[in-house]
Amino acid sequence: MTTARPAPSAPAETAAPSPSGRAPAGGAARRSRGTAWLANRWVQAAAALAVLAAGYAVARALGTPAWLGTFPDATGQWLIARLDGVYTWIVANRNSSPLFLYGLNYVSVGLGSAVVLVNQALVLLTWPGVVFLGTLAAWRVAGWRVALLVLATFAVFALIGLWNEAMTTLALITTSVLIALIIGIPLGILAGRSDGFHRAVRPVLDFLQIMPAFAYLMPMLLLFGIGNPAAAVATFVYAVPPAVRITALAIRNVDAGAVEATTSLGSTPWQILTKVQLPMAKRTILLGVNQTIMLAVSMVVIASVIGAGGLGDAIYQALSKVNVGQAVEAGAAIVLMAIALDRVTGAAGDGTRTPVLPPAWRRWAPAVGLAAAAAVVAAARLAGIEGWPPAWSVSVSGPINTAQQAVQSAIGDATGAFGDLLLVGVLNPLSALLTGAPWWLVVLVAAALGAIFGGWRIAATAGAAVLATGLLGVWENSMDTLSQVLVAAAVTLAVGVAVGILAARSDVLAAILRPVLDAMQTLPPFVYLIPAVALFSVGRVPALAASVVFALPPVIRLVNDGIRGVSAPAVEAAVSQGSTGGQLLTKVQLPLARSSLLLAVNQGIMMVLSMVVMGALVGAGSLGYDVVFGLKQNQLGLGLTSGLAIVCLGIFLDRVTQGRRSHA
Amino acid sequence: MRERNPDRRRSTVVAALAALCAVVLLSSCAVRTTSMLRDPNTVRIALNGWVGYEASAAVLSYLLEHEMGYQTQLMRIDEQPSWQAMDQGAVDVIVENWGHEDLMELYGPQGNGTVVDGGPNGNKGTLGWYVPEYLVEEYPDIDTVEGIKKHAEIFATSETGDKGQFLGGDPGFVTQDQGMINHFDLNLEIVYAGSEAAQITEVRERYKAREPVLFYFYEPQWLFEELDLVHVDFPDYHEGCDADLKDVACDYPSYDLNKIFRKGFAEEGGPAYRMLDSWQWTNSQQNAVARMIAQEGMDPDEAAEKWVRANPDVWQDWIPAEAQG
Repeated sequence: MTTARPAPSAPAETAAPSPSGRAPAGGAARRSRGTAWLANRWVQAAAALAVLAAGYAVARALGTPAWLGTFPDATGQWLIARLDGVYTWIVANRNSSPLFLYGLNYVSVGLGSAVVLVNQALVLLTWPGVVFLGTLAAWRVAGWRVALLVLATFAVFALIGLWNEAMTTLALITTSVLIALIIGIPLGILAGRSDGFHRAVRPVLDFLQIMPAFAYLMPMLLLFGIGNPAAAVATFVYAVPPAVRITALAIRNVDAGAVEATTSLGSTPWQILTKVQLPMAKRTILLGVNQTIMLAVSMVVIASVIGAGGLGDAIYQALSKVNVGQAVEAGAAIVLMAIALDRVTGAAGDGTRTPVLPPAWRRWAPAVGLAAAAAVVAAARLAGIEGWPPAWSVSVSGPINTAQQAVQSAIGDATGAFGDLLLVGVLNPLSALLTGAPWWLVVLVAAALGAIFGGWRIAATAGAAVLATGLLGVWENSMDTLSQVLVAAAVTLAVGVAVGILAARSDVLAAILRPVLDAMQTLPPFVYLIPAVALFSVGRVPALAASVVFALPPVIRLVNDGIRGVSAPAVEAAVSQGSTGGQLLTKVQLPLARSSLLLAVNQGIMMVLSMVVMGALVGAGSLGYDVVFGLKQNQLGLGLTSGLAIVCLGIFLDRVTQGRRSHA
Repeated sequence: MRERNPDRRRSTVVAALAALCAVVLLSSCAVRTTSMLRDPNTVRIALNGWVGYEASAAVLSYLLEHEMGYQTQLMRIDEQPSWQAMDQGAVDVIVENWGHEDLMELYGPQGNGTVVDGGPNGNKGTLGWYVPEYLVEEYPDIDTVEGIKKHAEIFATSETGDKGQFLGGDPGFVTQDQGMINHFDLNLEIVYAGSEAAQITEVRERYKAREPVLFYFYEPQWLFEELDLVHVDFPDYHEGCDADLKDVACDYPSYDLNKIFRKGFAEEGGPAYRMLDSWQWTNSQQNAVARMIAQEGMDPDEAAEKWVRANPDVWQDWIPAEAQG
């Protein structure tokens, strides 16, 4: 697993342009010593923030007159009223308007039925049949190690008594991934072959990836119907971007010479596609399939909010009883499902671990496999076996709960005190600054930061994005959320860079970290929200802690990979000149790993942002709370405007932190 | 939704339905949401997110499956979306409804005409503000408006600074807290826990440390079996005192909780409907099952089975005569 939730700039895409694109400019500035410090971007940024603080102080001193105050909310009120009107109209016309009768209802009925049918098929196969088929397929594609992993995964589903839930979830994932691929891969091919289409589709994909899933659950419910249809569409929306992006990238990366050669031989475009581009891009496209599946798995819990059932439902059930142990069990089942699917599709991608069969067997292997599977299914059905018998389950939730209690009583006081410090010392002042400063000054400073880090076009985007949060009518909530995101990102980066550096210097630590990071990335955040509340007490701090846990893995990975990727000769040269370990790190490794570090900053911030709604479930309030409130209280206007405001904050943060690299 | 006891018979029924659905799709172009695959032998019960509700649903589901030969599907979904699900034909019954007159207007006989009121389920619901019992020992008047007003600052946390903290609950629940704070001019700030799990965790931690905490809560709720909590008295609810949600001069109303049926389900009037229609039980009966689920960590199905085994005289009357046996 590389990243469970790639932010708008998928690593593969941003890592491709030359990593040290800006180095010459920095060097030129350093040469003119006198005013060099003014040209330093960090000094400029600090100056912009100082202006913001001064503006805040002036506004406070003058008693916050209207022109120095918060954003007028007239536009927001208007928009919310319109959206609520749309909601009322849909409820009244769902079974009479042609838009639904001849359009959307087809989708909803088709999808809902597809999920039910896949689930029925899995039930029909009985558990021995599913286990046999799954393991056999895994072995054929990925070799016996992965087959054993798949077998173990099935065993865990069964032993913790979540077999039926796991099958329901598998049915939903299968359906939505199939749709994502059927739609995503052709779109990706189109984007790979046409620059115009690529340019048109990219902002849409960016938007889909920054939009918090919670925010579009509500429109999905309305348009496609509660339960499986809405869940399948929501999962599809969440999972389709990498299928399009990576397919496009794969097609584009096909050697131009090969395409040219075929063209000169008089091939039609269709022949070029099917005979050259697709075969050569196959591996990369399979990576996209892998990413799509991983994203679909991470939507499982959120889909359960709208009645999709399955493993996510088991987590909710545990949470409604505040039973962390049970939630961890269900979470572990999801983690294992993710890891198994990842290893199988990953192996399908590189194709190196596929067992080699003697040619004489190869033709018969599928038939023999299917016949054996049919025999197993028939035997199981004759024996009357269907779901896993509940009596054969074991539970580990008791020990997990005990362990959580022990941790709680050991460090609860310390974490509580730390949380208070963070709240009073950092979160409150920053929130006061952003919500209390004149709104137009905040917009200007945002634009200035864009100009400093990315140039004029980025400045315009950044300013417009921040302005839009005000136009959506949720200015104060947006600023409060922004303050939380910034603090959480700072903590994430501090911890992540430190751990990443340590991991890069110690192979043992790196080996220990790898499975831990895998688990952290796939474990649904819902599982650790409640322990976070127990440690930090309801409010913004537990939300911050949870988002740090969620955002750390990609940061640590990128820093680790970046430093390890520094060329050996450079390191050797520094060592032979007598550099100390510290000098080696600060003078050689970190500067040379700069592009990875910048990517880590960007990814860390975007991951934190994607936890905004989740944080609202433990008291973070602001935008995230209104998204949840809108969903639960059928208030489309409030939920959707808050969700869009999160997208705006995302665009601002993304563009400012990645500006120069991808647009250079 | 949790599928229970997957039955071989059902697969064939669904396959038949799939074929039927395909025919319907081909023969007419207009598709209504109700044409989704559905098994007529399956009762779909909305499952709202609190344990008391789950206890009722578990017992009913157990009876439908084991005493009446139905399949059941429990669809976990929030209060308001459950109504929408019923309107879309995806759910047959809500077994514990708290008010929601506005939704009844929208979807009931005066509106879309897709849902009907199924009458009281026997449970009495109370919403309100609660404090732990030990706080009343320390501040004897803390369970009154005046006491809250006088001692508001003892509830202060680092989240709220010098104001007292009022701990809100799940965003899906009915609330009027800000209106009450405004009307009675209380120096309180609402911190929205954002989920019931977070709220209960916070209350438990405070309770363990015997610290002050003031929060939104409701009865019947299983936490009352574990902690001693006291309802804070406000002037009694009267019709219209909560008309302006920014200025509410009274406590929450108390509810006679009721059932809501999908109109089509009620009109078909099968044995499942008639059983659910005649079902009624008390708060203590619900609590008995909820306690098994929440505190003893039993699977809802097991808890329901245990209760059903022990109380045949209670539920036997619910089952329509011809469906017995």
